[in-house]
Amino acid sequence: MMKKATILSLFSILILGIYSFTFQTKDGGDRLIGVWEPSNGRARVKINKIGSKYFGKIVWLKEPKDPVSGKPKTDKNNPDESMRNVPLRGYRMLKDFIYKGDDVWEEGTIYDPLNGSTYNCTIKMTNKNTLDIRGYIGVSALGRTDVWKRLKIKKKKGRKRGRK
Amino acid sequence: MRNMKNVRTLSALAILLFLGSPLYSQTDTTDYEDEEDYSMYDDIDFADEAAKRYASPKIIGISPSKLIYLGYDYQGPYEMQFDGLDNTAGDTFTANSTTGIRLGCSIPVISRNSIVWQMGFNYWETHFNGTPSNLNNEASQSHQNTFRTTGINTTLFKPLGEEQFILFQGSADLNGDYTFSDLMPLKYLKYSAAALWGKRPNDRTQWGIGLARTYRVGELNYIPIVMYNWTDVENKWGTEILFPARANVRRTINPRNMVFAGFELQGQSYRLYNDVNLRSQDLEIRRGEIRLRMEYQFSIKDFLWISAQAGYRINYRYTTDYLPDGKEIYRAFGLLKDDPYVMDNNITNPWYMNVSLNLVSP
Repeated sequence: MMKKATILSLFSILILGIYSFTFQTKDGGDRLIGVWEPSNGRARVKINKIGSKYFGKIVWLKEPKDPVSGKPKTDKNNPDESMRNVPLRGYRMLKDFIYKGDDVWEEGTIYDPLNGSTYNCTIKMTNKNTLDIRGYIGVSALGRTDVWKRLKIKKKKGRKRGRK
Repeated sequence: MRNMKNVRTLSALAILLFLGSPLYSQTDTTDYEDEEDYSMYDDIDFADEAAKRYASPKIIGISPSKLIYLGYDYQGPYEMQFDGLDNTAGDTFTANSTTGIRLGCSIPVISRNSIVWQMGFNYWETHFNGTPSNLNNEASQSHQNTFRTTGINTTLFKPLGEEQFILFQGSADLNGDYTFSDLMPLKYLKYSAAALWGKRPNDRTQWGIGLARTYRVGELNYIPIVMYNWTDVENKWGTEILFPARANVRRTINPRNMVFAGFELQGQSYRLYNDVNLRSQDLEIRRGEIRLRMEYQFSIKDFLWISAQAGYRINYRYTTDYLPDGKEIYRAFGLLKDDPYVMDNNITNPWYMNVSLNLVSP
């Protein structure tokens, strides 16, 4: 009886070990994690993983302040009135991406703060430092692709880093 | 007893490993905006190279372009006066209204920041309601039929760098009073095109100059064109101009509600083809009109927009030309040729309205 339990436990460890090894490597799509800049250079977006999905938030704006009020830019074009005072820096503009294999992340959305619209979106990594981001309406054919490039954060000594 | 201890230890290890697996390990479950040190993103380099930057086809605040539209056009009553043709008498009558659907699309074939190429289709029709049945000549009688425009179009936007771009638009249309059971031959296709070189010096300004081959004044012409799109720093006011085709001042209430005031030049050359075997001549109605209007565009849900416009339709030309086999007469506003029109008709000016449902572009 004891022998059977021991074998069962060892088998569980083996299976879970293989499972952990498989999913804790970067091959699960985590190479998307990082800081990226759209081709227009107006913003920088940090992509993180929450659970099994990927999200991206604005961490830098070329023009961080509203040219009229002089205050930090907020999401003033959001159709939801309650969101219009939310700062754009820190705003999650990429949401709910799932890694589908072959360097493709799908089922996500991208938000355009310039007009307050949210589009369906797919991400294709064309090389380790380049993304094709395609925002579209309903079907992929009704969309537009932008090229984003990976940025490399300089690690400074003594800097208190934000949590990932 | 010792075996039991081993089993417990191994089981605990298994549970720990399982809990340590990504199924339960969340890299980020909360928003840390307040804790993030954003200054670390100020001075930052590309991992290899920056993306090549291209001039965008749009500027901040510009109205969204239409991917698919379905509309209805209505002109109020107006009087039509037709000259006599050969030995027939002229005609004068009142069109109670002019109505018709307008539908079309312009779908991206390639849409990247380095190039945008779209292909589309358009179908417009015009019914002249109340046209009498006892008219004297072929040109006026043709208004008992429906005038149609069926065509395909293409648009190419090619950035030449961060600021400069070229824009090309082309279309091929069948215009006439044909029916779909007796479609006109393709030799009567009318080809229009425009090519423009432009600059986008900043995110709020875009301008360009070019040349167009157009039927907007009713007959074939080659005319210079000027683009000027601009949005003010408060995103309240702007212009959307592609002169002389259209020019509008834009007032933005918010990015989903916009009001426009301006004009559009519309026109076509319609082949009189209905019952062509009964006709004695190869005639085309040369229609050109200026539409002074106000327009309200707004989103009803996400990317579905309504456009409602109302204004005054001013007749620019409603002449009739004799064009055997569809061969054109290029008059260049009378500078190159001064061939007389076979009929020099006239129509009065009504109020009009146009409503359309649009799927707009990202």
